[in-house]
Amino acid sequence: MSGKEFFINRYQSLGWKYREVKSRQAIRINSTNADDKKLIERLKGLGVNVEKITFLQSGYWVQPSKVSVGATAEYLLGMYSIQEAAAQIPVSLFTNLRSKLVLDASAAPGGKTVQLADAMQNTGAIAALDVDKRRLTALSNHLERCKINNTVVFLLDARQATNLNVKFDRILIDAPCSGNFASDNYWFRNRTLKNIEHNSALQKQILAKSVDCLDENGELIYSTCSLEPEEDELNMDWAVRNLQLSIDEINCYGERGLTEVFGKQLDPMVARCKRLWPGATQGFFVCKLKKRSNTQ
Amino acid sequence: MKATSVFNFASQFRVQLALDPDLIVEKNGRFFLINNILRPLAVRDFFYAGAYLGKAKEGKFFPSFILLSMLAKKKESNRVVVDKKSAWLFICGRDILRKSVVRVHGQGKKGANTLVLNEFGECLGFGRIVGKLIGSGVGDELAVRNVSDIGDFLRRER
Repeated sequence: MSGKEFFINRYQSLGWKYREVKSRQAIRINSTNADDKKLIERLKGLGVNVEKITFLQSGYWVQPSKVSVGATAEYLLGMYSIQEAAAQIPVSLFTNLRSKLVLDASAAPGGKTVQLADAMQNTGAIAALDVDKRRLTALSNHLERCKINNTVVFLLDARQATNLNVKFDRILIDAPCSGNFASDNYWFRNRTLKNIEHNSALQKQILAKSVDCLDENGELIYSTCSLEPEEDELNMDWAVRNLQLSIDEINCYGERGLTEVFGKQLDPMVARCKRLWPGATQGFFVCKLKKRSNTQ
Repeated sequence: MKATSVFNFASQFRVQLALDPDLIVEKNGRFFLINNILRPLAVRDFFYAGAYLGKAKEGKFFPSFILLSMLAKKKESNRVVVDKKSAWLFICGRDILRKSVVRVHGQGKKGANTLVLNEFGECLGFGRIVGKLIGSGVGDELAVRNVSDIGDFLRRER
């Protein structure tokens, strides 16, 4: 079960009509290293115009320009990161990150790790995990460029996060996922339902192990850039039913999560998730989870 | 090579770094500055920790851009401020001509190392002083030979 038509029909049955989407380049200003206003002026001087993304705190759309935003002195000095707009949402949903112990369970290439460190103003500590050594090198370069000093990076599978023997105040699971057609031209050609089911199983394992190292009063943000419910709402429904988790209301860009998927009725709490169909941003899914107290 | 390589490198810019050597950890020849919050995590086998300071290889020390920025903030450090055009050329790996030098701080002696800053005071890398930094005339002579610059972040990705 694969192919463009198969997936387009699936999306239609979930209430979204497929259309071609061209993703827009976005940047996020690192507030630890730059002042928004001054940086925007400097970029303007280079011929790069940016426009505020209304639903993000430090996110800007990049207007088409002859100058590459990945090759300016300001970029090399860590004043901003190139980060897709939807990908800037998960970290922004954590409350009170300063001085916290944070786990970034699938960290490479590090866009969200740097965003976490920036939101923490380099206080507290981040444990950043990934299983791919080459991607860890990219993550390390990213940390050095942005002058991050509160992060420890491990070559470690997120499913072994409990080996760190730490209870984390905040956990980010930007889960390894199937991606989506808006950010991958060959997506329809390369993806099958089997891939999606494999990723879904992996995501459940990561979720279960991460919950074991979440502090009782901690917050867990789960996100994917997949549009497939098996990796999104169905996983959250599973987490609510099996991991003693509750889903918090979040106030961010996107539509409410689906509570009926392919004829299956999900826990009503799943509606508190946010689903971003491709359009202004790439496809995305995000939600905030907390441990349920015994009285709940 | 121990953490002394970090301090020795800093002294080449006339900076006495006031860092606690116990908080400098080495991993495969790479040096990291951690703090007491990171220490319990950094006892494990890590890939990267805290602020990366640089690596030692075959008896030579290669500083990180975090360390260079730290040095550039020290009043006593050797540094040259260069004009806008030259700042960009330096990032592209080019050397500095005398006419591009706007200001000189610290020792400007031939043979010494100096940090290279842009007009905003941001550290772009460092180089070796190979000629006069100030003086009259056209100023087309080579003043600072590029040793390392932040354009390296792009070159690493290739």
